[in-house]
Amino acid sequence: MSHVVAFLQKLGPDVLARTHEHVFLTFFAMLVATSIAVPLGIFLARCRARAVVGTVMGLAAVVQTIPSLALIAFIVLLFALMHLQTIGVAPALTALVLYALLPILRNTYTGIRQVDPAVIEVATGLGMKPHQILFSVELPLSLPVIMAGIRIATVWTIGIATLCTLIGAGGLGDLIMRGLRSIQMDYLVAGTVPAAILALLFDWALGGLERWLTPEGIRAAGKTGGA
Amino acid sequence: MIRFEHVVKRFSAGVEAVADLSLEVAEGETLVLLGTSGSGKTTTMKMVNRLIEPTSGRILVEGTDVMRLEPIALRRRIGYAIQHIGLFPHMSVAENVAVVPRLLRWPKDKTERRVDQLLEMVGLGPDEFRHRYPTQLSGGQRQRVGVARALAADPPIVLMDEPFGALDPITRGQLQDEFLELESEIRKTVVFVTHDVFEAVKMGDRIALLDRGRLQQLARPSELVERPANEFVDQFLGQQRFQLALVTRTIQSILPEHETHEEQPETAGEGPCLRARDSLIAGLDRFKETGRQTLPVCRRGRRVGALSKRRLLDEITEALGEAGTEE
Repeated sequence: MSHVVAFLQKLGPDVLARTHEHVFLTFFAMLVATSIAVPLGIFLARCRARAVVGTVMGLAAVVQTIPSLALIAFIVLLFALMHLQTIGVAPALTALVLYALLPILRNTYTGIRQVDPAVIEVATGLGMKPHQILFSVELPLSLPVIMAGIRIATVWTIGIATLCTLIGAGGLGDLIMRGLRSIQMDYLVAGTVPAAILALLFDWALGGLERWLTPEGIRAAGKTGGA
Repeated sequence: MIRFEHVVKRFSAGVEAVADLSLEVAEGETLVLLGTSGSGKTTTMKMVNRLIEPTSGRILVEGTDVMRLEPIALRRRIGYAIQHIGLFPHMSVAENVAVVPRLLRWPKDKTERRVDQLLEMVGLGPDEFRHRYPTQLSGGQRQRVGVARALAADPPIVLMDEPFGALDPITRGQLQDEFLELESEIRKTVVFVTHDVFEAVKMGDRIALLDRGRLQQLARPSELVERPANEFVDQFLGQQRFQLALVTRTIQSILPEHETHEEQPETAGEGPCLRARDSLIAGLDRFKETGRQTLPVCRRGRRVGALSKRRLLDEITEALGEAGTEE
């Protein structure tokens, strides 16, 4: 027991600060990724040119296949070539955003595409304008799928953000790396446990948000079925 | 009200979905577009509200070429109902019905009153159904909501694409009856698409029978059944023409001439009676139910004559004979 108290006394403030940095990185990366991927996904869903859809999706998928460590290194190199600051939050955020794009983009695209064309046609037939169809029919109906994409991306981002310590962006990775270098169990635990808890917490909170945002009519579909 | 002038629709593959179609739908009339799948009936209907645009020819709605009208405004003036799939699953019954009034920016209380009125009109108690979602409704209830939504902004024209499809025969018959009743009160110009010849005969003031984009015959139901214009029509009706003949002939049409238009002052009273607009088949049912040999005939609650079972049976025999020996 006294061991735990000592542990918290020694590392408590540090854990809090690193967690704060970690949340900040994740949150902003997700904010930027979502505001790029959702509109892009909507655009792709409406795009008639198959080649464009294929290219953009392909690019996002390629980014996804690069190992996270390599991607971070690649971003640093890119920033150096452009004479930008290679250390700190900016390159870290860039890498995280690139990583988070694909799941959100893919789910937005699929979500919009799976809306029944008959429903869209009725909306058109009743005299809705394209933006009215998007906001009052397509988005509400594809929201559960889009939210699922955002959830997956968030959990990944929390994991990958632990690597951002390597380029001086802070976060819980700091504690983990210190533990690794000096073979100290305390630091390893202080870094990994909060990271795991964060991932679970975000997943749970986004799940709640998803349920709250899902229109009642679709929620009812799962439970009661036909009358 | 709606006029097609030499309308052609060719899709990119070069197939003519609609070929040189000319017809007119009068105000207050129900025109049924009848045909098998691929006959061009749905394409024809969708050209009225510009969901599909004609390749050549003109479509006039209330005298104006639809291609000169703003499509959004045009569509909001035309009611539109399709099979139950057309309800928005994420919207409640009230929200579904209120779609067009909202697009037209009606004040909130006016929209609410209209929604309640419409739900009442299609036989769904507003208090019970207002807040339900499409998945919590039966097939028949969904179609009713679809009809209510099409009528929401009180459009002069209503387009219906198999609105009672995908229902069991009993519910379907019930909804057809209800819609006929409703239509007789609100007098809309209706374009009704179906592949079911019995539905066509029941719902239509006139029927346009289409095959591979070409109009085969445009006629009143009884005329279509009794005088098919060509071999295709004859084949399309097939064996069903016997039954159809009994459905298209009304009690009215077989009443002895001198009795038909005499509005006798007495009311029909409490007893059972035949309705003048009932079909011969419905009449026969009535005799069977009541066990009588003679029944009074009434129109709008007034007695207009009487008919004996014997005479009805004679007429039925005759109708069947005619339908059989035609040619």
